[in-house]
Amino acid sequence: MNVLKFLAVVALAVLVHVLGVRMLPQFALIVDVFLVVVVLYGLEASSLTALGAGLCLGLVHDSLTGAGFGLFGFADTLIGYGAARLAQRLVIQRPTGVLALVSFAVVAQQALVVALTFLLLPWPEVPSPLWVALRAGASGLLGMLIHVGSTHWRRTAEARRRSRLSRLRLG
Amino acid sequence: MDERRTGWVLILVLAGQLVVLALQGARAGDTFLESLGLRLVGPAGRAVASVPESLGRLGEGLRTRGTLLDENRRLRREVEDLKLRLLQLNDVAGEARRLGAAVRHAAPPAGRIRAVDVVYADQASWLRTLIIYTGGVETKISQPVLSANGLVGRVVTVAGPYAKVQLLTDRAAGVGAMIVRTRRQGIVRGRGRGSATLELDFVPIQAEVRPGDVVQTAGIDGVYPRGIPIGTVTAVAQGGQLFHRIELAPAVDFSALDQVYLLDFAPAPSDLPEAPAP
Repeated sequence: MNVLKFLAVVALAVLVHVLGVRMLPQFALIVDVFLVVVVLYGLEASSLTALGAGLCLGLVHDSLTGAGFGLFGFADTLIGYGAARLAQRLVIQRPTGVLALVSFAVVAQQALVVALTFLLLPWPEVPSPLWVALRAGASGLLGMLIHVGSTHWRRTAEARRRSRLSRLRLG
Repeated sequence: MDERRTGWVLILVLAGQLVVLALQGARAGDTFLESLGLRLVGPAGRAVASVPESLGRLGEGLRTRGTLLDENRRLRREVEDLKLRLLQLNDVAGEARRLGAAVRHAAPPAGRIRAVDVVYADQASWLRTLIIYTGGVETKISQPVLSANGLVGRVVTVAGPYAKVQLLTDRAAGVGAMIVRTRRQGIVRGRGRGSATLELDFVPIQAEVRPGDVVQTAGIDGVYPRGIPIGTVTAVAQGGQLFHRIELAPAVDFSALDQVYLLDFAPAPSDLPEAPAP
């Protein structure tokens, strides 16, 4: 069930990314949907699951880019694992905490990707720092919104479940 | 699984990916994982690309009779113009063939083109990509991709009915090119960092180059045939002691690609057999 849920999330991330690029050509520059999902997974899953999620989503992202295959796979694996380890040590529940974490993850991912291109690819390129800053802010905002939305949805579902249980006991 | 074991798994996964990346730098073509990834994400791109097409068809169905009559008249005029142009070109082609035969010139065979749909295009980011749906028709690595206006790039990954195209604006792309007016040859490269312009390298400072000069493929790289428009010179500066620094505006608007053409062209063999010693 968890695997199916994860696959559905991956499919949704791909659809959002492809649709976003279709509607706004700069979408891939502004938001990294895949990394947002990786970090949010890292906050809630075990480090091994987060590592797997990072690897999977990173490789899917690599399939949609023209650079070397495995650049985002490498970076997102490391970031998924790092986010999970951080969540084990710190309690990150505030929306602003999620925003800061996703934004930092975007900067770290870009740094890792650039370092790898310089080390391993014949024509390394550096993205514009302005776009990286914009990407960090926008992705952080998206991560925060998803976090707030999912927390609210979970609380509502839990409240409904409790009220249903209490009604059953009374009856 | 305890954290120490997870740490080992992480190290193994990262090392594996580093090996895959390092191997890619050393060879051309695609990997199994890349093909698999393309097969998985390709349908999503196709599904999204088909939505505006369906809406467009719906819109076409709702057009008024007057609009259709106007369009019909315009298309008829266009067909007449194109017929006239075809007659002129046939005449020129016949003349070129006769002249070629007189001097026994063996012209390279012209390739056949096939229209394919673009399902995903990211031309803005520094990791620019184009994914096309070929419909299962045979597609080869390094096959040239064109649009009606000029050269788009070449196929770098093939996965079933999907293929990934390296755009001309990619920093790693290189095309043997020539300035049409002077026949001077050089190498066209992408400028990277999301720039939509190109640069023409290795044109010596003695060569005369002007803004407005048209640049075409030279057919010297063994990948692209001669005569495909690449772009127009927009700026010329002295790059160093030997070569000009030439900036080009591409002939193709990469942001407006929804259909491209695959060129069936037999590239030059990479290893030519040596002639036996006399």
